[in-house]
Amino acid sequence: MKIALTGNPNSGKTTMFNAITGKIEHVGNWAGVTIEKKEGDIKKNLNKTGIEITAVDLPGAYSMSPFTSEESITRDFVKNENPDVIINIVDATNLSRSLFFTTQLMELGIPVVVALNKSDLNEKKKTAINVKALSKALGCPVIKTISTKVSDNGLEALISKAVEVKGKSQTAPYDSKRIDFANAKAVEASDKKRYEFVNSIVSNVEDRKVSSNHQTKQDAADRILAHKWFGIPIFAAVMWAVFSISQTHLGPLLADTFAGWIDGLYAWTEGMLGEGVSPILSSLLLDGIIGGVGAVVGFLPLIMVLFFLLALLEDCGYMARVAVVMDRFFKRVGLSGKSIIPMVIGTGCAIPGIMATRTIKNERQRRTTAMLTPFMPCGAKLPVIALFAGTFFDDAAWVGTTMYFMGIAIIILGALIVVRITGEKNARSFFIMELPEYRFPSIKRATISMLSRGKAFIIKAGTIILLCNAAVQVMQTFNWQFQVVAEGAESTSILASIASPFAILLIPLGFGVWQLAAAAITGFIAKENVVGTLAVVYSITNFIDTEELALVSGGADVASVMGLTSVAALAYLMFNLFTPPCFAAIGAMNAEMEDRKWLWGGISFQFGMGYVVAFLTYQIGTLITTGSLGTGFITGFIAVAVMVGYVVHLVIKGNNKAQQKLKMSA
Amino acid sequence: MTNIIVGVVIVSIIGLSIAKVICEKQKGVKCIGCPHAGSNNKKSNCSCNTAKLDR
Repeated sequence: MKIALTGNPNSGKTTMFNAITGKIEHVGNWAGVTIEKKEGDIKKNLNKTGIEITAVDLPGAYSMSPFTSEESITRDFVKNENPDVIINIVDATNLSRSLFFTTQLMELGIPVVVALNKSDLNEKKKTAINVKALSKALGCPVIKTISTKVSDNGLEALISKAVEVKGKSQTAPYDSKRIDFANAKAVEASDKKRYEFVNSIVSNVEDRKVSSNHQTKQDAADRILAHKWFGIPIFAAVMWAVFSISQTHLGPLLADTFAGWIDGLYAWTEGMLGEGVSPILSSLLLDGIIGGVGAVVGFLPLIMVLFFLLALLEDCGYMARVAVVMDRFFKRVGLSGKSIIPMVIGTGCAIPGIMATRTIKNERQRRTTAMLTPFMPCGAKLPVIALFAGTFFDDAAWVGTTMYFMGIAIIILGALIVVRITGEKNARSFFIMELPEYRFPSIKRATISMLSRGKAFIIKAGTIILLCNAAVQVMQTFNWQFQVVAEGAESTSILASIASPFAILLIPLGFGVWQLAAAAITGFIAKENVVGTLAVVYSITNFIDTEELALVSGGADVASVMGLTSVAALAYLMFNLFTPPCFAAIGAMNAEMEDRKWLWGGISFQFGMGYVVAFLTYQIGTLITTGSLGTGFITGFIAVAVMVGYVVHLVIKGNNKAQQKLKMSA
Repeated sequence: MTNIIVGVVIVSIIGLSIAKVICEKQKGVKCIGCPHAGSNNKKSNCSCNTAKLDR
């Protein structure tokens, strides 16, 4: 038996899906989190029938006439894949809007059970809904549910009711008759009539004590948090606090214990191996595998604390306000306000962020967002930030916060350039986003989110990172004749000979050595590799100080081994953050952009942006700190001038295109 | 003898990692480990392709 879970965005479908299947799909307190259908078997304690029941979680939809592509997934599924029963999740706090979709679903001839979700919030607002009257008016069973509660949540009753109605016929309470969907006026008139019908039901079944235009505490909070001027500094302060807790205070405290275990494992293995083992095998196991993976995994506690805090922010409804604050800037540069959603998702991992761009209907905006989303520092980049912030800068918090805001600034600048290149600078977009209610964030949900991301980090470290570090160790140990490289002749190794040509290009950026170039190259496989490769090539097993609770063991020592100034380190960090993402994310960009020209244009733009930002950071920073320009200024300046000149040429071409368009429309 | 044991241990670790990567890739996982990166093959009933048809 197959049950489809449908409903408006942010009505709690995925929370219910997780509750009835035991899965841990990503949930968020805002609309547009689910973009694909997901399937899972209903838990045995909720399904007493003995029949195998599969639940299908569908993206949120406001109506059966889809506006975005993920809404069309819902429409296509319920229309073409014939689920046995539809569970329509209705947001009890917003009945009139939700029932519009319910009445449309009931016209399909598939049995419907309405789950009156978030009933607890209604009770707090002193809004009462007469469930019996609603069920009678709709002609289908209505069950009160609270998906977030562990027990007494109505889910067992909901499932048994769904089994009960399977195969039974229901009469649709409202029949729209056959209308011509190509006729916009006919559709509008039909929708109006349906709304009138729905409103008549709501007025009969709902007893609302607080009117919707009543100013609540939530509205007062929104006036401050989503304020057009205060919104940005508040967001900056929040992010600073998040980084401060995760990377300066609580994170390193936990990392200390963790790093101790890794050190212990290293020492134990070293002791077990003894002196009779071949140094090649010993260094491959100790430095390549344990040291390289350990250096990356050492940052796990910091990252888990950060993800926990970000999950709390998302769950309490704050991130949706950030979208509103950012919309003002995004609209001006030709992006959709919806673009912020993929970017926020991209702070976890760029791939789901890029995939989330499909919620954007406009093709140019969707492709631009897919191209710019990887500029937001993702989870894989956090160990790199943590490493450099800890090694070269005393206060780790401002570095992380700055990287986030740099990412946002680059996105805005990038969008401004793209909109001019494509000749659509006159295009305007509108953003309507339903703001979820503020709520006390769930520690359980944040913990689940943190653990699932932590698990992901470990799996990645045990697979991709481990293999890369082993390969780096081998390439560093041997030369092209497959002879062991003598001490002091590391520059003859396979790794050095591959990385050295790239290192020349990096001289104007302040880090033209093969070790750093090699780390940046392996970063394209997975960004965590930057840390792992640095650990392998510099033979550093642990970046976390176990004695002083500092981020890095002898930060100054590590900095001197790398031979970087603070300014060059910052430039290197930015280069790794703002050049193209990992190959997997590039694959996702390819899938979402569906255009080779856009894909290669996007990758070139990311390379150019990373190079220019790193060049400016290093040269200006060196000028300020030492009074003279850094190495390779002239060569770098020429390279940057060529890149900027080409972009200007494309912008002029785009402007001409825009003027032609204007003339034609006039 | 010790070298052989250490060699076997290293080969086993690397072999297991490769096996896991191949297994995940066959499932259609785009980013190994990432719980929300989705899969894009027919086996997993991923609806990404349906979404594209409607654009």
